[in-house]
Amino acid sequence: VSAPPRRALPQRPATPPLEALRAWRAAHGPPTQADVVALGRTTGLPASTVRAAFEGYADLRDGECDRHACAGTACWLAGGDANPTDRASAERRAVSCLGHCHAGPATLRTGEGVVSGPSGPCPEPDVRCRASRPVVTGRLDTHRGLAAARSVGVWSAYAAARGRSGDVLVAVEDAGLRGRGGAAFPTGWKWRAAAEAHGDQRVVIANGDEGDPGSFVDRLLLERDPHGVLEGLALCALAVGASRAFVFVRSEYPSAQRAVAEAIAEAEDAGLIGPDVGLEVEMVVGLGSYVCGEETALLGTIEGGPPRVRARPPFPTTSGLYGCPTVVDNVETLVAARWIVAHGAGPFRALGTQESSGTKAISITADFERTGVVEVEFGISLREVIAEAGGSDLGAVLLGGPMGSVLTPERWDVVVCYHRMRAAGVQLGHGGLIPIPIGTDLRALALHLSQFMQEESCGACAPCRIGSERLRDRVEAGDASGAADLGELIAATSLCAFGHFMPGPISALLALAEGQP
Amino acid sequence: MTEERAYLDGRAVAIEAGETILSAARRLGIEIPTLCFDARLAPHGTCRVCLVEVAGAERPHAACHTPLLAGMRVHTQSARVVELRDRVRALQLGATRPGPVDDSHPYLRIDPGACIACGACVAACDQIPGRSVYAIAGRGSHSHLVHGPGDQLAASRCVGCGACVDACPTGAITDRDRACAAPVERTTRSVCGYCGVGCEVEVRATADRVLSISGILGAPVSRGNLCIKGRYAHAYQSSAERLTEPLLRRGADFEPVGWDEAISWLGERLATIHRESGPGALAALASSRSTNEACYLLQKLFRVQLGTNNIDCCARVCHSSTAAALRITTGTAAASACFDDIERAGLIVVAGANPTEAHPVVGARILQAARRGAVLVVIDPRRTELAELADVQLQLRAGTNVALLTGIARALLDSGRVDQEYLRDRTEGLEDLRVMLQDVSVADVAAICGVDPAELERVATLLGAGAPGLFVSGLGLSELSQGVDSVIALANLAMLTGSIGRVGAGMLPLRGQNNVQGSADMGAMPDMITGYQPVTDPAVRDRAAAVWGSAPPATPGMTVTEMTAAASRGELRALWAQGEDLAQSDPYQERVLAGLRRLDLLVVQDSFMSETARFAHLVLPAAGALEQDGTFTNGERRVQRVRAAVSAPGQARPDWEAVRDVALAMGADWGYETAADVMDEVARVAPQLYGGVCFDRLDVGGLQWPCPTLDHPGSPRMHEGGFARGRGRLVPVAYIPSPEADLAEHPYRLMTGRVLDHYNVGTMTRRTPNQTLAPVDWLEMSAADAAREGIGDRETVTVQSRWGSIEAPVRISERVAEGSLFLTFHQPETHTNRLVGPGVDPTSKCPEYKLVGVRIIRRPAV
Repeated sequence: VSAPPRRALPQRPATPPLEALRAWRAAHGPPTQADVVALGRTTGLPASTVRAAFEGYADLRDGECDRHACAGTACWLAGGDANPTDRASAERRAVSCLGHCHAGPATLRTGEGVVSGPSGPCPEPDVRCRASRPVVTGRLDTHRGLAAARSVGVWSAYAAARGRSGDVLVAVEDAGLRGRGGAAFPTGWKWRAAAEAHGDQRVVIANGDEGDPGSFVDRLLLERDPHGVLEGLALCALAVGASRAFVFVRSEYPSAQRAVAEAIAEAEDAGLIGPDVGLEVEMVVGLGSYVCGEETALLGTIEGGPPRVRARPPFPTTSGLYGCPTVVDNVETLVAARWIVAHGAGPFRALGTQESSGTKAISITADFERTGVVEVEFGISLREVIAEAGGSDLGAVLLGGPMGSVLTPERWDVVVCYHRMRAAGVQLGHGGLIPIPIGTDLRALALHLSQFMQEESCGACAPCRIGSERLRDRVEAGDASGAADLGELIAATSLCAFGHFMPGPISALLALAEGQP
Repeated sequence: MTEERAYLDGRAVAIEAGETILSAARRLGIEIPTLCFDARLAPHGTCRVCLVEVAGAERPHAACHTPLLAGMRVHTQSARVVELRDRVRALQLGATRPGPVDDSHPYLRIDPGACIACGACVAACDQIPGRSVYAIAGRGSHSHLVHGPGDQLAASRCVGCGACVDACPTGAITDRDRACAAPVERTTRSVCGYCGVGCEVEVRATADRVLSISGILGAPVSRGNLCIKGRYAHAYQSSAERLTEPLLRRGADFEPVGWDEAISWLGERLATIHRESGPGALAALASSRSTNEACYLLQKLFRVQLGTNNIDCCARVCHSSTAAALRITTGTAAASACFDDIERAGLIVVAGANPTEAHPVVGARILQAARRGAVLVVIDPRRTELAELADVQLQLRAGTNVALLTGIARALLDSGRVDQEYLRDRTEGLEDLRVMLQDVSVADVAAICGVDPAELERVATLLGAGAPGLFVSGLGLSELSQGVDSVIALANLAMLTGSIGRVGAGMLPLRGQNNVQGSADMGAMPDMITGYQPVTDPAVRDRAAAVWGSAPPATPGMTVTEMTAAASRGELRALWAQGEDLAQSDPYQERVLAGLRRLDLLVVQDSFMSETARFAHLVLPAAGALEQDGTFTNGERRVQRVRAAVSAPGQARPDWEAVRDVALAMGADWGYETAADVMDEVARVAPQLYGGVCFDRLDVGGLQWPCPTLDHPGSPRMHEGGFARGRGRLVPVAYIPSPEADLAEHPYRLMTGRVLDHYNVGTMTRRTPNQTLAPVDWLEMSAADAAREGIGDRETVTVQSRWGSIEAPVRISERVAEGSLFLTFHQPETHTNRLVGPGVDPTSKCPEYKLVGVRIIRRPAV
C-alpha cells in the first residue's frame, strides 16, 4: 500500500486573500455581512475566515491610521502614553512595537516615517561589535543594494555552495548554530529534519516577525542587509531541497518591507533566485499580530487563515506550510547560517562557548547610555553587557522581551549562554535588553505587560485565552499571589511558548513590587 | 533487536509508529479526559485537558497530539496533572458567554452560551465536509465562534452533515432531532438506505420509531461521517403516509385486505395471465432500494416459477451503460477500484458526477484528497463544487463526452506519455484505437465540446504526468445515447494511463441507489442471472437448474423501457414493480403512463402510495431500509449487513417475504426462513462473486466481492493480477451527436439531476425537513441566457421538449454554461421526466436523461 500523497503547495495568487482584505479594508472600512459574502466570493476564503481575519488581525480590525503609536515596553518605559489594549481612534492606533526601542517613545507617521517623542527625528541606532569578529552585524553599515552587497561578498557563499547542498547542512550542524529567535533550537537538526521528511515539495521561511518589544536587530538586518538574509534563506533552501521560500515581514516595519521587496527583485533579475533557478521567493507582510512570530501561526497567515497557533507536534519540519516539510528560521539565524557557510563551522565554533557557539546580537533600548545593537560572543556575562551599554541606577533589567526574564543586579553575573541561562532559569529570548530604572512603578509595568498578553494572546488554547484576561484583572487588582497562582497554571498548561512564558516577568515584577510602597 | 517500548503509568507499551500518548492510553484502557479531541480529526490540542506528565519534560504534554516515543515514561494520573486538568477545565467551562441561539437550520442548533471556543467544530467542518462554515474570530479573550457570514446556519455553506455536532464537546452545537426525543429503546447497527456509498449507521429508536441516526467511527466507507440525508432525513420512516396494509383495487378505489387474501389473489392472477398469454406477458422490476434477498427472490420467481427473463431493475435507467462498458473493456460490470483508493490516488478524474451533492461522504473524501494535493480533473457540463477546486475543469457541452475523451486520448498518445509496458502486457486493441484516433483532432474536439483546446491538452499532460489515475464517473456519462461509448472512452484513458488494477487508481463509477449494485449482482437483468451469468449460456442454465430445480429460459427478456413500451402496445399484461416509481422516474413519461394504464395486473411493493402505485391493482406495503434484515451491496462491491432497527408500521413486510409467500402460494417449495437462508443460496448460484458471502461473516464492515470462498478475505480492488476478461480491451469509439443535440426548435441542452437535500423522486426526503431546505425544483440557467430571453431570477417559465412540456421556476446560476440548463426531478408536481424522450443507448438501453433538447417559453404577463 502506497502512502497518501503529501499536500502540494498551491501557487500563490497575484493578490493573496489576506492582501485583498487589507486593500479592501483600506478602501472601505469594516465590512458588513454583505461585504463578507462578497469578499468570500472574490478571495475564495470561507465567509467565516473573512470574519475571523477581520477580528483577529489588528491591521484589519483597526484599519489604516496616520499615527501608529508604539505601545512596546521600551517606549512605554520611556514615557510613551500608548497601552497595548488601547482601541484605535481616528487619530491614533497603538501598536507593539515599531522596533525603534532605542529612541522611544516612537510613533510611525504616514509620510514621515518613525519619529521619536512628540515629533523629534528618530536617530538611527548605533551598531557595535564586541565579539572577536562580527557574524551578523558586519554589514549593518548598509549594504542594501545588490552591487553593494556583492562588493562585501554576499551571494558568494551561495554561488560556491550550489551543488554541495550536503556540505551546507553539515556545516550548519557542525557549527552548533541555534535559533536566535528565542527558542534556541539547533538549526542543523531542524534543517536535517526537513531535508529528510517525506514530501514532494519543501518550503523555507525567514521569520521577520520580530514582535518582541525591545528587540530590533532583525529590523536592521532586513533593512540594511536584505541580501544577506536572502542568501541565508537560499542556503537553507539548498540544504533542505526547498523550491519555495518566503520572507515574512511585519506590517510595523514598512522600511524593511521596501528593502526586502527590492532585494528580491534584484536577486531575481540577477538570476540568483526565481522560478527559473528552482527557488521562488516571495515576501509576505504581516497584518498586526504578535503571535505570527510563532512559527505555526506564521504558517497559518501565509495560508490565508486567521492568526492562530497550531499544535506541535507535528512540527513544521514534517508538516508545515500546506502540509509540506517547512523550515521557519529567524532572520538573525539565517544571517549567521550564511556566515557559517561562507567562513566554515570551525571559525564559528571558535566564537562563544562550548555549549553556545557564535555570537548574539543584543538590542539595547532607550534609557541605556549607549543604545543600539551590540553583537557579543556567548560567554560574556550579562553584567558586562549592561556595563557596555552604560546602564546605571537600574533596579532590574527585562531581558528577552515581554516573555523574558526580570533580572535584578544580583543575577547579572549570569553568562550569556543558552545552556547556562537555561540552568539559571533565565530567558535570553531574542536578546532585547530593557532597563528598569530604580523608582519604576513595577506594578504599573506588570500591568502594562499583562495588557500586552491579553491583547496578543491568539486565543487558540484555553489557559492562555482565558488566563491572560484574568491575569490582567488580578494584576490590576493588586492580587500578587492570585496572579502568581494563575500564572503557574497558564505556564504549565498552555499550547505554545507565549503562554509558557507569559507569567514569568509579570510574577517577578509583582514579587519585586512587594518591597515597594 | 530490542523491542521499542514506552511506559504508561508503569505499564510497558509497544511503540506503534505515529501513535499518540492518548491513543496508546486508550489502547491500554487508561482513561485520559478530553474536550476538543475527535478521533476523526487531526488533533488540535486547544482545550489542554488531556495533559499528562512525561518524565524529564519541563511541563505537562497534551496527550492528544504528543507522539509516544520509545523510552518515554508517562504518568497519566499523577496528582499534579489531575489538578491541572480540573483547573483548566473549570477555567474554560466558567468562561462561556451567552449569545443569541441560532435555530435557523432545520437540523442543527447553535447555542453560543455553551461554546468554549475550542475549535473542534472548525476542524470538523474543515476536515470532513470541507465547508469551513465555522471559525474562531477575535483573539485572546475576545475569541468567539462565528459561523457563515452572519451566524445564520441556514444562510451559510452548511451541508448539514452533522460532523460539527459529533465534534462539539459541550453541546453548543446540537442535533435538533435529538432535542425532545423519546427515550432510546434500541440501538442498531445497519447501513444507510439512501445512496450507493453504503455508509454504516447507528440507529437509535423506540420499538417502532427512528429517533436519531449517527455515523460509526471506524466504519470502512464513512469513517464515522454521514450526510444530511443519512443522518437526519429519517422522518419519512414514521410518516402518517406510510402504507400499512395491502390494498386491492375495487373499481376506482383501493380496499385494505389482509396479507393472506393479497397473496392468494396475486398468485392466482399471475397464474391466470401466465396461462392465458404465456410467460412473455409477465414482467418484474426488482428494486435497487430493497435488499439483495428481495431482488434475488423476485428474479427467481419470474425465471423459475413463471418462466420468463422479463426482469430488470433501475440500474437500467442509471448505470446500465457503465456496467455494459466495463463488462466489454474489463470483463466485470463493476468498479475496479474501491473508495479507499481515493486517499491513495495522486490523480483523480471526476467525469459526469457531482459527488459532493449526490454521494456526499465520498464527495467529501475526494474534495479532501484534492485539498491535500491530489491532482483533480473535472469533466462536467456544470461547474460543480469539485470543479471549483479542480486543477482543470473541462466544461464540455452535454452529450459530447465521447468526443472529449477521445480528444484527450489522442493528445495523450501524441505526447507519448502512455504506459507502454501496461498496454503491452495487460491490454489489447491499442492499434485499433490508434487508427481510429488518427481521424480525431484536438482542435475539432475542442470546437465540438466547447472547451479550450489548450485546457484539453493540459488535461492530457496532467494525465500523462500523474498516471495512474482514479477515474470516478457518474450518470453524466451513462445516461446518454452514447452512454456505453462514453464510459468505454473513459476506460480507454484509464488503460492508456495504466490505471485499472493499480493501487489508488482504476475505474470508480458512483452508484446511485443503496443497492443498485446488488440488484444487478442478484440477476435482476433480462440477459443475466445472479452473478452476471448470461442466460444464453447453456452451462449457466445447467448450473442454475442444479440449484433451482429448473433452468431459466434461454432467451433474454425485456428491459424496463421495453416493458413499458410493450405494455402500451398491450403485449405485456402483468408487471410487478418492487419499489420502482416508474411514473415519476422513467423517461418519456407519456408512454410510461399509457403502458401502466393498459396493464391487466400491476403489483406495486412500496412504502408509500407512489405515483406508480396509483395505477396498481394491488399495492403491497413494504418495510423500509431501517425495518428489515438483509444485505445491500454498495458501489465498491461491498456486501454489508442490514438490520431491522425498528418494526415496520402496521402490516408492512420486507419485500423478500412477500415474494416468497407468492411463490409458495404458486406451489414453489421455497424453504427460506430468514434473509440469511436466501444469501446462502445466492452463494451457491454465484460462487465466483458471492461464494464466500454469508451473514456470519458480515457482522462488521462487510465483504467486497469477488469473494469466492468462505476463507477468502474479499477483493477491495479488481483486475490487479490481470483483467477478468484476460486482457483489458481498448475499444475505438467515435463520437456521434445525440439526436437531442442542436435542434433548431429546441436549442437548449437540458440536463436533469439531483441536489444535495433530496434523493431521487423524493419519496423519502420530501417527507422530512429536507423539504424545507429545497422545496422546489429549480431550472438553472446562465445569466447570459436569462438576459437574452428576458427572464428574471425566480420567474416561472415553460420548458418544452419534443416529448412534453412542463413549468419550472428559473434560478440564474453560475453552475451552467450558456446554452445549458439543469433541472432536478425531486418534486412530483414538476414532472421533469415528461421532457425526457424515448432515446436510449443502443447497447444498454439506458435513457438519455442527461441531454434533452428544449426551448424556453416565457409565460405571458398576468
